[in-house]
Amino acid sequence: MKHIIEEESKYAASAKAFRANVARDLGNEELRSNFRGAMDYLMDKRKGAFSSEDELEVLREQCKLIKQRCLAKLPHLLEQLEGNLEKNGIKVHWAETITQANEIIAQLIAEKKGKSVVKGKSMVSEETALNDYLEERNVECLESDMGEYIVQLAKEHPSHIIMPAIHQNKKQVAKLFADNIEGFEYSTDVDILIQQGREVLRNKFCQADVGISGVNFAVAETGTLCLVENEGNGRMCTTIPDLHIAITGIEKVVEHLSDVPPLLSLLTRSATGQAISTYFNMISSARKPGEKDGPQEVHLVLLDNGRSQAFADEELKQTLQCIRCGACMNHCPVYTRIGGHAYGTVYPGPIGKMVSPHMLGLEATTNLPTASTLCGACGEVCPVKIPIPKILLRLRQESVKPKSQQPQVMKGQGAGRSSVEALIWKVWALVHKSPKIYALSMWGLTRFRFLMPKKLGGWTSVRTAPKPAATTLHERINAKQKKAKQSQQERG
Amino acid sequence: MTNTKADIKAISNTARGNILAKLKAEVSGADYEKLPEEVPFNYPTFSREENLAQFISELEKNHAQVIKTTKANMAEVISEQLKALNITKLLYGENDSHREVITALDSKVDLQAYDFSIDNNKGMLFNECPAALSSSRCSIAATGSIVLWPDENEPRSLTLVPPVHFVIVDANELHADFASLMTSQQWQDKLPTNVVLVSGPSKTADIQQTLAYGAHGPKALIVLLINI
Repeated sequence: MKHIIEEESKYAASAKAFRANVARDLGNEELRSNFRGAMDYLMDKRKGAFSSEDELEVLREQCKLIKQRCLAKLPHLLEQLEGNLEKNGIKVHWAETITQANEIIAQLIAEKKGKSVVKGKSMVSEETALNDYLEERNVECLESDMGEYIVQLAKEHPSHIIMPAIHQNKKQVAKLFADNIEGFEYSTDVDILIQQGREVLRNKFCQADVGISGVNFAVAETGTLCLVENEGNGRMCTTIPDLHIAITGIEKVVEHLSDVPPLLSLLTRSATGQAISTYFNMISSARKPGEKDGPQEVHLVLLDNGRSQAFADEELKQTLQCIRCGACMNHCPVYTRIGGHAYGTVYPGPIGKMVSPHMLGLEATTNLPTASTLCGACGEVCPVKIPIPKILLRLRQESVKPKSQQPQVMKGQGAGRSSVEALIWKVWALVHKSPKIYALSMWGLTRFRFLMPKKLGGWTSVRTAPKPAATTLHERINAKQKKAKQSQQERG
Repeated sequence: MTNTKADIKAISNTARGNILAKLKAEVSGADYEKLPEEVPFNYPTFSREENLAQFISELEKNHAQVIKTTKANMAEVISEQLKALNITKLLYGENDSHREVITALDSKVDLQAYDFSIDNNKGMLFNECPAALSSSRCSIAATGSIVLWPDENEPRSLTLVPPVHFVIVDANELHADFASLMTSQQWQDKLPTNVVLVSGPSKTADIQQTLAYGAHGPKALIVLLINI
């Protein structure tokens, strides 16, 4: 299978530094308390949103099947979506790589001589690092989702896909505003902080010539882009500027309009425990003659960036069912402790561990699938029933396969393979296949247990070294049975 | 250096070909007749009163203000609300469905019709329009959602930019849930430029999970419920 070679995403380096990131963030008490508080809050909210276990299970099964159907028909639905969008006057562009997506968007903006962009929340544009790309070309790119705005002011990237600034508390936000917004008087009152953000951003909405947004569902049947949001910034970005560019992954397409209500219901309830978001925005066209507002031009950029690689494998394909609700990270004991930035990727948590290897390759992400206790919480809460723990195991296997083994399913196959580890497992398999060698090696292990080293690399950095017993279990059982027999004979 | 329009078209065309070819290779020979049946949850049926109660309760939970009124009384209600909010000006869409309300309001508040293009009037829309009045197409009980169906007379920004949004909701147009509404009205055949479901005033919990209202859209959503 041919993989596209492109310039590396900036996230490849930070993902490679996973272990160092974890050590850094685990030691940050404020960060850990911010995450603990936020995750407890979000888990509670979700729990309260599903009053009936029956309804939840029926909906999950239904939505899983909806997404699987849409994936089964994906290329046809993408063509249908394109046809209907173009019929409605929305231009469709395709990009295999993040660079292509950025080039397309930059050109669309340049053509309109755009200088100022307001962005609604879009994780796919984080994936392409669009802000950096545009700013290098002298286009101001302002995030308008409150959380994204905070993160951008702090020169960070989102630590959570739904609540981007979840790693910051209000004191940190207040300081950030005081340092960056002229005339802002330090206050930790959240209402004051939000009103301040509102004021700055409304001015920008009024002046911006381009709005960029993501897409939650793209409906093939009608050529409609659906956006889920609470703040109204998504509506602003898609209504006020003259040019609206939406960017999304190719897996976001659904077949029918009627597929949307169950998915929407599960999305908002799983994400934040809301029965529905404040706004559900359905865009089917640019401004029509006679209409008084709305963008003159609407464009959609469809991005692959590794998704077609996942699509080509029956098991990994399930990754693409994801509707980006964030429930898996909210319930992940690892995410809660290390936080969203430690992963070093755009998408953190369980979903990030599944999608990032396709986007960045296993060379950069080989550690990520191992950052799981396999407790199964993510799989249990996933609204579209992605078997996340199973997929993580599969990714671990892909990561340690011999580099040359065919078929090559993933970019970077075998990146995590170590010859020592491979040898250990080979020996282990050999020992366990033969009862004689097994007995002999157990005998050796118990008799020479004093040779067990005190330091065993990563294992003993946080644990004591294992100490083999003086005799094997088999020997002890045999001895016990012998003793019982003897005493029986004596009594008899 | 930025690419030209032709460069971008070429990039997009090649990408399109490659992506679709890869995907199609994987689905060739798929039998779409054999897909498993998708069984929806069977929601109980509610009476009109129950649906109304649910609609109001969901909206109020989300900090919307719901006022039961009549067409005849509406001008009075709106002007009182505006007075309480210290607002003297109201932006409205030239929609026939509530023309008599506008006529009755004429003597009470400073009215402004949304009869202009947004293009040269953004500053005025953002800075000089503190409140707006719009109609709605229908509403959804299960989630307390109001369906806005913007058109030439009631532009999209009418219900988005002004900080206070009055919306007229007809109780006779209340539907149980989103799925049944879409199906009964056959939305797939006739979606306009934009449809928005609104379920409260704009809000955010992005700072330390603390809910704050008035993020970017209206700070207040005042629902004028008629024909109860």
